[in-house]
Amino acid sequence: MRNLLDFLRKYNYVFLFLLLEIASFVLLFRFNNFQGSVWFTSANTVVATINGAYGDMMAYLNLQTVNRDLTQRNIVLQQQVEQLRVALARATHDSTYTEKRIAEILSDYEMIPARVVSNTTRGSNNYLVIDRGSAHGVSTEMGVVGGGGVVGIVYLVEQHHSLVIPVTNKKSNISCRVRGQSYHGFLQWEGGSLRRAFVDDIPRYAAAKVGEVVETSGYSSMFPPGIFVGRVKKVGNSPDGQSYRLDVSLGTDFANIRDVSVIATPHKVEIDSLYHHANTQLSM
Amino acid sequence: MIQTILSRIGWFLLLVALQVFVFNHIHVLGYATPMPYVFFLLILPNDLPRWLFVALGFLLGLIIDMFADTPGVASASLCATGLAIPFLLKAMTPSDKEEEVFIPSLHTLGRFRFMLFAASASLINIVLYFVIELFSFYNWESLLIGIGGSWLLTWLFVIAIESIRSATKKK
Repeated sequence: MRNLLDFLRKYNYVFLFLLLEIASFVLLFRFNNFQGSVWFTSANTVVATINGAYGDMMAYLNLQTVNRDLTQRNIVLQQQVEQLRVALARATHDSTYTEKRIAEILSDYEMIPARVVSNTTRGSNNYLVIDRGSAHGVSTEMGVVGGGGVVGIVYLVEQHHSLVIPVTNKKSNISCRVRGQSYHGFLQWEGGSLRRAFVDDIPRYAAAKVGEVVETSGYSSMFPPGIFVGRVKKVGNSPDGQSYRLDVSLGTDFANIRDVSVIATPHKVEIDSLYHHANTQLSM
Repeated sequence: MIQTILSRIGWFLLLVALQVFVFNHIHVLGYATPMPYVFFLLILPNDLPRWLFVALGFLLGLIIDMFADTPGVASASLCATGLAIPFLLKAMTPSDKEEEVFIPSLHTLGRFRFMLFAASASLINIVLYFVIELFSFYNWESLLIGIGGSWLLTWLFVIAIESIRSATKKK
């Protein structure tokens, strides 16, 4: 205490100086507009700097929450982008010749638009699942077509979904012909490339040429005649040497298939009934 | 003692009057204004308590401010000058006078030492005055010119006043 008093007494002039300087500056800022405004501005700058530093610190501490929110927002936006992309693709879709021709051929048929929700393309027995089922009028053994031509045949039907056996399944067997000719064979896939299948049993006297169109023959109740399947890529011999085997380049890209239509054949019941009668009578 | 106090009051009033009525109206080339009122602090005895230098500096500055309409400017600068003067005086005191009590003058300090003493004290006062008054270094060229001109004028007037005072005393 005594030391403190000694200190204060020894440096009393410094304290007096500080006191009087404060008084001077109070006068200065109080009665001089310019200095007062500069002081006010400077003081505000100091306050703003401190507030800014505090704000930066709080922003840094909140980064985790911000990051989480941004991630969620990003997911939502990605979903929106995907929806819009699909909507845009649909709105600006330019139909190809094959699509127009298919639409023309199928104008008398009821078409059930569907979307592929699951698609296996790696194995030898590939399947597609579409988002239309019995509730939408889909039943088994209906044909399925896409923008590139024939896709496959409905195999199993649930209420809202159906399983389709595509051309790229070894069990698939669709009756086809070369356009302009009446000879028909069966389209089969043997694995490997998803863009390549074969049509066997084309007679040797049939004049099949490379580049000709392969289409459905209409000999089954599933597809009407004339639906594009692909083009002849190569004409070869069948394994038994008795007929031609056509190497067909498929019109449908099964690795990238999205929108399809199920063909609800109006005459299917009649044709099936005839088959049934015939089978019954022949077996008797 | 009373005579000394009266003499100091006389100097105080004279310097205020000179500053207010004469020197404040001098603006050489629009920049330089002499401020020889600092002379009042230069001629205080060396044994005076330091706080008195500070207090008298503030008081003189405050009165100058009141008349010059510059509140706080002269009081702040002269108060700080009052803090510095005892240190300057101690530095300028010849070694043979360190133990003595004296009033700084051309005679007691010697011509050169007093001039240096007056120059350094004036410089501190002028620099502080201009910096506080302008409160900005934006026009630093005009600030430097103002400081330089005013400092030179102030110093010349201080030496002139001291010369007159010394001459009067001799008589």
